[in-house]
Amino acid sequence: MAASEVINTGSQVWKKLKKMGVNWTTVRRIMSVVLFLLAWTILVQFTGHFHQIPKPMDVFAALFQLKPGVIFVEILRSLLRVLGGFFIGLAIGFPLGVAIGYSRIANYLFFPAVEVVRPIPPIAWIPLTVLFFINVESQIVFLTFYGAFFPIVYNTMGGISEVDIRLPRAAMSFGINRMGMLWKIILPAAMPQIFTGMKVAIGITWLMVVAAEMIASKGGLGYWVWYHHTVMEYPMVILGMGIIGLCGALCSLAIDAIGNHFMKWRNIF
Amino acid sequence: MTDVNHKGKVVFEDVTRALQSKKSETIILHHCSFVVASGTLTVLIGPSGCGKTTIINLIAGYEKPDRGRVLIDGKHITGPDWERLVLFQETALFPWLTCYDNVMFGPLATKAMSRQEAHEQSVALLEKVGLRDFMDKYPIQLSGGMQRRAELARALINRPTVMLMDEPFRGLDAMTRELMQEYYLRLVEESHGTHLFVTSEVEEAIFLADKLIIMTNKPSRVKKVLDIDLPRPRVADVLRSKRYLELKTAALDILHEEAMKASKESGKADIDMVSCRRA
Repeated sequence: MAASEVINTGSQVWKKLKKMGVNWTTVRRIMSVVLFLLAWTILVQFTGHFHQIPKPMDVFAALFQLKPGVIFVEILRSLLRVLGGFFIGLAIGFPLGVAIGYSRIANYLFFPAVEVVRPIPPIAWIPLTVLFFINVESQIVFLTFYGAFFPIVYNTMGGISEVDIRLPRAAMSFGINRMGMLWKIILPAAMPQIFTGMKVAIGITWLMVVAAEMIASKGGLGYWVWYHHTVMEYPMVILGMGIIGLCGALCSLAIDAIGNHFMKWRNIF
Repeated sequence: MTDVNHKGKVVFEDVTRALQSKKSETIILHHCSFVVASGTLTVLIGPSGCGKTTIINLIAGYEKPDRGRVLIDGKHITGPDWERLVLFQETALFPWLTCYDNVMFGPLATKAMSRQEAHEQSVALLEKVGLRDFMDKYPIQLSGGMQRRAELARALINRPTVMLMDEPFRGLDAMTRELMQEYYLRLVEESHGTHLFVTSEVEEAIFLADKLIIMTNKPSRVKKVLDIDLPRPRVADVLRSKRYLELKTAALDILHEEAMKASKESGKADIDMVSCRRA
């Protein structure tokens, strides 16, 4: 009697959860995170080697010691640097990518230079930026810009050169002029890959901003993490890492949302 | 159907076209000559890979002949133009435009008619191909057959002098294909334009054609031209007539002969290539 009641209430709870939009897929997703945290805890608790690393509970506890005013200022600082670099990268990289992809002359003129510089990892530029700019803020924004620049150029260029030849051919037959071809055919057709480039770019800008801030000591999330490392507050370090990850993910989602808005034709069924 | 006043007479005069690769040269068309009379529906049929798409590209102006001339109404073809429109093998609808905007694309690009007139024509044409209720759908939301019909409407709204159909119904299932052929015939019989239709299906070829051009294997020339004297307007009943069967047998015999030749020669293809180049 009692047992059946338990099962009954259990299934009722499940029904309620289902109404709230919970299904097996979400349960499995939550399980994945839970298992990760569990593995982390076990690894730290039962192996001598990692015993200095904070446990998930310590990090969770650190969350309540955060001063909202302080952390939001740091987030905003990093975010402004990221967006600054990203938009400068877009403003220069996008037209350059279009030119290289669309015009043969521009391709010959710029592409070899791009190919020579591109394999250098952006972080390797850090020492040289000191020579470019005296202002530390400019140095950091330059580095984030640099991180965003190549993915944008490359994907814009690639998207344009990989447009299905039948589309411009059809448009040519319909009597479109060269400008119309670019704006009405080539760019819309290349748009999915252009957005892929922007998504890669914003990821790299976060990478660059953290690296630059750790060195520059001018605030921001990277500096915040580094500072807590120097005072050995490791729960805060991990918390900062989590916040950086979250910010990166949100930026990436924002680009997806903008992309979906402009490319309704791709995911309508 | 033939009317002396109509434009759109296409003449292939001794055309040779070869594809160059680093090592060798493949001759696609070899001294190929034929005429597409204005106001007729001419069907071009031949073994696969015999250069049918090359012929379409030459008339559309996407490619140029290596030797010989391609003329439309006595003028050289110098490049793409909306008097010669192509319906491709796979859909070439612009995926970011709705069905309606795709049809409106041509008139708005050429400004050949006012927006209001273009709008009326688009709606009328979409109605005719049975897509009135799907005007605001994106290509991805349409079935294969619907995409083909939308494309037909997008081309026909420009009133091209010559309509080039490059195996447009390939890959559609049998039922849809039949339906498409009927839609297409109705539009052709109303519009009286010049149509060149490329296919590798004998039934389709004879059902649609005024004139049937049968090509040889690569390097291709015209093997034979058959007049298809079946009555118009053509309906599916014609497929059961005695004349249809006679024509089909005649066409199949010729194609069979070519296929036999191809399989015999395939063993010494390399030698063939050399002799072609010398010729």
